[in-house]
Amino acid sequence: MRRHVLGIESTAHTFSVSVVSSEGEVLSNTRSVYKPPEGSGIHPFEASQNHLANAAGVLADAIDRSGVSLNDLDAISYAMGPGLGPCLRVGAVVARTLASSLGVPLVPVNHAVGHIELGCLLTGSKDPVVLLVSGGHTMILAYSSRRWRVLGESLDLTLGQLLDQFGRHHGLSSPCGKTIEDAASSSTNYLKLPYAVKGNDVSFSGLLTVSKLLLDGGSSFSDVSYSIQETAFAMVTEVTERALAFTAKKEVMIVGGVAANRRLSGMMTEMAKRHSATVSMAPLEYSGDCGAQIAWTGWLAHSKDVEVPVAESKVLQSWRLDHVDIPWRG
Amino acid sequence: MSTSPGAAEYARGRLLYKGAEADVLRGEWQGLDAVFKVRKPLSYRLAVLDDAIRRHRTVREAEMIHLAKKAGVPSPFLYNVDVPASTLVMEFVAGDRVKDLVGTLPRIEMEDIFFEFGRDVARLHTAGIMHGDLTTANVVRRKGNLVFIDFGLSVRTTRLEDHAVDLRLIKETLVGAHPEAATSALEALSRGYAGVVGPARSRAVLKQLQSIERRGRYARVT
Repeated sequence: MRRHVLGIESTAHTFSVSVVSSEGEVLSNTRSVYKPPEGSGIHPFEASQNHLANAAGVLADAIDRSGVSLNDLDAISYAMGPGLGPCLRVGAVVARTLASSLGVPLVPVNHAVGHIELGCLLTGSKDPVVLLVSGGHTMILAYSSRRWRVLGESLDLTLGQLLDQFGRHHGLSSPCGKTIEDAASSSTNYLKLPYAVKGNDVSFSGLLTVSKLLLDGGSSFSDVSYSIQETAFAMVTEVTERALAFTAKKEVMIVGGVAANRRLSGMMTEMAKRHSATVSMAPLEYSGDCGAQIAWTGWLAHSKDVEVPVAESKVLQSWRLDHVDIPWRG
Repeated sequence: MSTSPGAAEYARGRLLYKGAEADVLRGEWQGLDAVFKVRKPLSYRLAVLDDAIRRHRTVREAEMIHLAKKAGVPSPFLYNVDVPASTLVMEFVAGDRVKDLVGTLPRIEMEDIFFEFGRDVARLHTAGIMHGDLTTANVVRRKGNLVFIDFGLSVRTTRLEDHAVDLRLIKETLVGAHPEAATSALEALSRGYAGVVGPARSRAVLKQLQSIERRGRYARVT
């Protein structure tokens, strides 16, 4: 019998609701995205106000488009963390309300696991080395013994933070990735930047500092954008290649907001060729934060009876991916 | 003295391992059973950046292989340093990678290996060397001894932070790739490490390791 799960994402700038079926069909995926003023990042409270104001509309829209009635939902899942407290709480309140009024289980989902599982569903990847690159994460992972295991990560800033903080220094508002990618494509003038690979890990803080200094010193935004991309993406590609060589896996999957960058996916594809591995990415609509990642992972968890009583449900601002038990993978 | 016979000479070797950084081939070098570690150009990386990284790492690795021996840590004998081809020619180390031994040996023997692993890392640190790439794939057991075979990311440093980063990578590899053996292996490794650097330094490095882990994204603060 076909079952249906509704999922709510509200970890950061995006409030999104999705309904999926147990067969892996994404029946709806609606969202409202908070946009910070120019030169600023996400203000957690302001973002939560956006989510509050739009929650009802996004939810109603997701139900309508899915063609599934509220009474046919088998479970409600929500992003319990990691993320911004005020934002997380909006999604949690909506989820609790739905679950208790419908009398169905409430399923907590880790947002980052959501990126990975939705990626696997949409790309057909079975056992990939995962590169998770977003504003919240820069991690290289592979599954083993009921956990997604971290094989490498950033020791300080995430790739998304690097791009956003650099972009904001130039007066842009987050997310800045697309603007930086466009600016980079008009330059071939490489300015030397620190390349910091430490074993399986990367560090971006020095790279950010020097990039800002170059900008302040009069270098053009497109030259520095180009150099930042070439340096940071090569670092990430190198550590992903290390994980690929170490695990001898044959699939690479890129997920998270920065997966949308074509230079990054281009480098990864070039790298994977050497190892006869395939590279896949979630389609653009699903690479960034969305309800579908929570709904689909909610279904996987629900199928293994993962749930939390409404009275005990909470949000976790810090919740590392490799601390999440994964009972649905072999 | 170093010579550069060109890439074709090295390409005649048999590919042992295609790593992220380099291809490792086995072949003959002036009658010796040798390994060619060839840092090939990586097409995904900008050429100007790629050339600088490959040359720099080739020269530095040669220095570090030498320094490790001085510190009492077995490392391969170097036969040639070919900077133009970004290639090191060195002794073939016959044995089993620790990566392949984990899970196949009785626990006691496993702990002996990691105890010795810890001692060797401590010797490197005492000599002011951060290995930089302490995964279980980079250590080979040969006739009961451990030989460290890859110094591609090694640097000279006595900073507490750098030494802690070294240990963090071992921990990451063990927990990530050998979760079932991680706890007892890490315990044995810490004992070996402390035995060489002394309890005070060992405590300081482990404390720094915790502080690095807390800096990680979404780490649970304990």
